[in-house]
Amino acid sequence: MKTGKQRALNVLMNVLLIIYAIFALFPLLWMLLISFKSDTEVFTTTFIFHPTLANYQQVLLRSDYARYIRDSLIVSGGAVLVSIIVGVPAAYALARYNFARKEELAFQILSYKFAPEILVVLPLFMIYQKLGLYDSYIGLIWVYQLISLPLLIWVVRGYFEDISVEIEYAAQVDGYTWYQIFFKMLVPLIKPGLVSSALLAFIFAWNSFTFPLILASSKVYPVTVAITKYLGTDSAHYGQLAVAATVSAIPAMVFALCIQKHLVRGLSFGAVKG
Amino acid sequence: MARITLENIRKAFGKVQALDGISLDIKDNEFFVLFGPAGAGKTTILNCIAGITMPEEGTISFNGEIMNLIDPAHRNVAMVFENYALFPQMTVYDNMASALRSKLYREDEAVIKERIDKAARMMKMEKLLERLPSQLSNGQKQRVAMGRALVRTPNVFLMDEPLAHLDAKLRNSMRTELKEMQANLGSTCIYVTHDFMEAMALGDRIAIINKGKIVQIGSGDEIYYMPCNEFTAELMGDPQINIIPAEIYKSGSGYGAEMIVNGSKVRHELPEDKGVFAKIQERGLVKVDLGIRPQHIKYAFAPADGYFKTTVYSYESIGNKSVITAECGAYQLRMIAPNGLNVDIDSDIYIKLELDRSILFDPDSKKYLTRYDEEAIKSFAVKEVQ
Repeated sequence: MKTGKQRALNVLMNVLLIIYAIFALFPLLWMLLISFKSDTEVFTTTFIFHPTLANYQQVLLRSDYARYIRDSLIVSGGAVLVSIIVGVPAAYALARYNFARKEELAFQILSYKFAPEILVVLPLFMIYQKLGLYDSYIGLIWVYQLISLPLLIWVVRGYFEDISVEIEYAAQVDGYTWYQIFFKMLVPLIKPGLVSSALLAFIFAWNSFTFPLILASSKVYPVTVAITKYLGTDSAHYGQLAVAATVSAIPAMVFALCIQKHLVRGLSFGAVKG
Repeated sequence: MARITLENIRKAFGKVQALDGISLDIKDNEFFVLFGPAGAGKTTILNCIAGITMPEEGTISFNGEIMNLIDPAHRNVAMVFENYALFPQMTVYDNMASALRSKLYREDEAVIKERIDKAARMMKMEKLLERLPSQLSNGQKQRVAMGRALVRTPNVFLMDEPLAHLDAKLRNSMRTELKEMQANLGSTCIYVTHDFMEAMALGDRIAIINKGKIVQIGSGDEIYYMPCNEFTAELMGDPQINIIPAEIYKSGSGYGAEMIVNGSKVRHELPEDKGVFAKIQERGLVKVDLGIRPQHIKYAFAPADGYFKTTVYSYESIGNKSVITAECGAYQLRMIAPNGLNVDIDSDIYIKLELDRSILFDPDSKKYLTRYDEEAIKSFAVKEVQ
């Protein structure tokens, strides 16, 4: 039986959580509401208005929105894929091997995240112009490594360090080659960390704005940059803007829901493993 | 099923010389025990044989074939790791089947099942086969680690303290099973332990390792009765052997030993023994360390002839018997006593040493000199291993 005090505490906790949920979700709700309002009603109504799908028609059917989403998927997905291919072996090496200046190297990788993007983007712009990487998929995927690679390497490295090296020895003695050990024994063990860091990296890459704004223009048009198109010089179509933002949040949410099982386990795995 | 030969193996980790010229010749089908204190290099020797660690110098050969450059997978060794090293994502059954499912040592699933069932029966873990390692206790994990090795038919079994985490009862039964299994399988087994009972019970031969060097190799009896130095003598036996510094004096036709007990001199005639007296004469010994096992010290609570007086330092039970420790100033004497005695700390106790069972060590080099009844002991303890 719960005492009165415990129950009161429970109620208080739930009230606080509800307040926080409203606080956190309200902007999203507001965005959703605006997406159904016509431009004339945006500033004059709050909850009672004449819902319209005109904004959705305008954005989804009469503009290149699908292309923007596709570009975002290509660059963000590509960036995460490259990060996994490059980052997992790098994390393994940083966890297992001893070499000169190992910690400095690991720290340098992390330091790529220190500088504000706006600080490095102008020199990068000039370099990209010279190299011909400006406004290309490869160029954006490459620069997104600054966002996704450090995160992935540092998370996965911790997971590799948690695996005792004797497990690898035991598998060697059992007659497995290094590649078999890596894919059969180690990858399943780092999977939670890999999945959660890959998801976060995807979300960060998806939401990146500065890099695609400066380093891409007409050929590659990620959705974050595309949204600004609905803010015209003379008029701001807030309704269309809200539609574009709402729809652009969907892929990351779908992705997160698909791997939610791993995500929850992934974030707690390292802590409870004694 | 191989003869394992190590020649002058050296290995350093940074500035620490883990192995300093280890040479071993382990015969086919031998149960060979590596015994020594923590950090002696026992596990490193196993790792070198398994191929996990590369020695910097020296050769490792199986049946005369040099294996230094062969990777662990192709050496066909089965190893039990001290920290179990189970694969966390696999069930107990899959863990045990792991080697038999690899490309190199592949067997039919039916054969695998049969072998695993047999190993599981032997280790009393039939009911655990579907569990994951995280659902097992340490003792159970250790048995799985053993099982993973026992299902194979390797050149050599390498076992790193495989029974250390089992409860006493299971350890005893596993010890017996292991010895029998090894005899039946007819395979070489190298076994690391720091439990001298295990070493004595299991080993055809025992190698004492200390600080990366081999101190002594021999049968359990040989090492117990004729330890090559004080270190080995102290390692073998629980409670450990008493080492008493003494001076030799001439007494009639024989000799006597004079010891200091709590500041006063105590003289004992040395019992007559041709070997011992010859050694004393030949080496002109003045000082010796007398090694006497705790079961060879007699005690009384009233003055008696040939007993010297000292005080009780502690009295503690170690199960079916107890140990009395007596204070003698510069050293303490441990002796075996029955349980349930009414002994007060600091009370008087009278002690007699059974000098005719003692081992003589050189006090400077700490090396074995001789012992009483050396010839008789040699005849039963020292066996030539084929």
